Amino acid sequence: MVDIRYGPREPVEEGEVVTEENVFDHYDEPQGFFPGQVVADLTVSTFLLAIVVVLAYAVPAPLTEPMDISTTVYVPRPEWFFFFLDQWLLYFPGAALIAVGDVIIPGLFVILLLAIPWLDKEPAYSPARRPFVTVVGLLVITVIVLNMLLALLRIVNFTGGTPAG
Amino acid sequence: MIARTTARIRGWGRDLMDWMEERTGIVSLTEKLLYEPTPARGRWLYTLGSATLFLITLQFLTGILLLFYYVPTTDNAWDSIHYIMTQAYFGRLIRGMHFWSANLLLFVIGLHMVRTFLSGSYKAPREMNWVVGVFLILIVTIMAFSGYALRWDQEGFWAWEVGAMISSYTPLIGSWVITTLLGGDTAGPATLSRVFALHVWLLPAVLAPLIGVHLYLLRKHGEFGATFEYSERLAALRKRRQMEETFGSVEEDGQVADAGDHSQEG
Ligand code: HEM
Repeated sequence: MVDIRYGPREPVEEGEVVTEENVFDHYDEPQGFFPGQVVADLTVSTFLLAIVVVLAYAVPAPLTEPMDISTTVYVPRPEWFFFFLDQWLLYFPGAALIAVGDVIIPGLFVILLLAIPWLDKEPAYSPARRPFVTVVGLLVITVIVLNMLLALLRIVNFTGGTPAG
Repeated sequence: MIARTTARIRGWGRDLMDWMEERTGIVSLTEKLLYEPTPARGRWLYTLGSATLFLITLQFLTGILLLFYYVPTTDNAWDSIHYIMTQAYFGRLIRGMHFWSANLLLFVIGLHMVRTFLSGSYKAPREMNWVVGVFLILIVTIMAFSGYALRWDQEGFWAWEVGAMISSYTPLIGSWVITTLLGGDTAGPATLSRVFALHVWLLPAVLAPLIGVHLYLLRKHGEFGATFEYSERLAALRKRRQMEETFGSVEEDGQVADAGDHSQEG
């Protein structure tokens, strides 16, 4: 704290021995949380607030027909953040496989996510220096985004009825 | 005269600060929180976490305002939302903000997760920050999902129904899951009560303290940032190792430095 208020220290002090243990002890270029980071945070938050307010008026939050449990023609549609799971179901057709596609695999994926800090044994931090983890991570993101797009295309091109049915 | 008054007011201010500090420690705490060192170079990348926090706070605030009008019964839920959209003061704004901020939140929280993943911020000692984060993203997703159903319109209701049906295929506990989500064997008034309890009480009650833990851990270990925040120190480390490889020099405490490959550099 003292270092910040009385001027930032040098990245490497005169005579300091940088070791594996202390290399991450402080940043090359530190700033006080206030005002440095606070200003950046407030800028982004203000921008987000503006977007949200504009969208609230420009594209009103949807409200479709009141719920009708007796309908036989309504075609349910997932929210965009579940598009991926919806698409995923196509690869696991039939009642027997639903659990595999939408419960077991996502469940295992969550366990995998929780375990990442212990699975990634590479000592390096930079994505370029731990290519295995980075490539696997980017592949997972690509698969998720691609499947979301596939689901979106399928839903947009669906001709078997209207969601408002 | 003016100078004397100003000095007196300053004096009162100082006395009040001292009084508060002695009783609550608030002044030193604020100072500690405000002046903590953070990395300067990538500051825009590190706004993703605070943007997530901002949007969640917005969700809590607009959600509370929606509760002034929303009625969680099957007969009135849809009508109350219709009323909010067409009659209530600023209803369209508040509901629109709640809706759009929820969608942005899911996007921003995903970006925050990808950022911390790519910069390896989950490595020791920040593992638990990541673990808590995974629970946060799960809870936020279920909150968004249950929020849709609260509208009690065709879109929201059937999405919930399908979700509940799919989760009923969960091995071993499937039937319990579906009865819990629907509040019985089939959808009905109890379903809306369940969704309401989840969205408005249970999930926020879990989410809020978990966010507190996430932020506490963040402050405890400090923001790691990414390795480019330490490039000059890493360069000094590399240089020292090269020197040792070439000249076999010794470290301060007389031990031969290990130039092996268990470096943490990135
Ligand atoms: C309610 C949701 C969340 C809130 C409010 C939140 C808030 C924050 C904030 C303010 C920071 C510091 C700034 C930054 O590094 O961006 C942070 C850091 C962090 N968050 Fe989150 N976060 C949330 C969800 C998550 C999720 C889903 C994950 C990952 C699974 C995660 C993992 C981390 C990690 C590992 C750090 C430390 C980053 C570092 O030290 O470089 N957080 N979080």
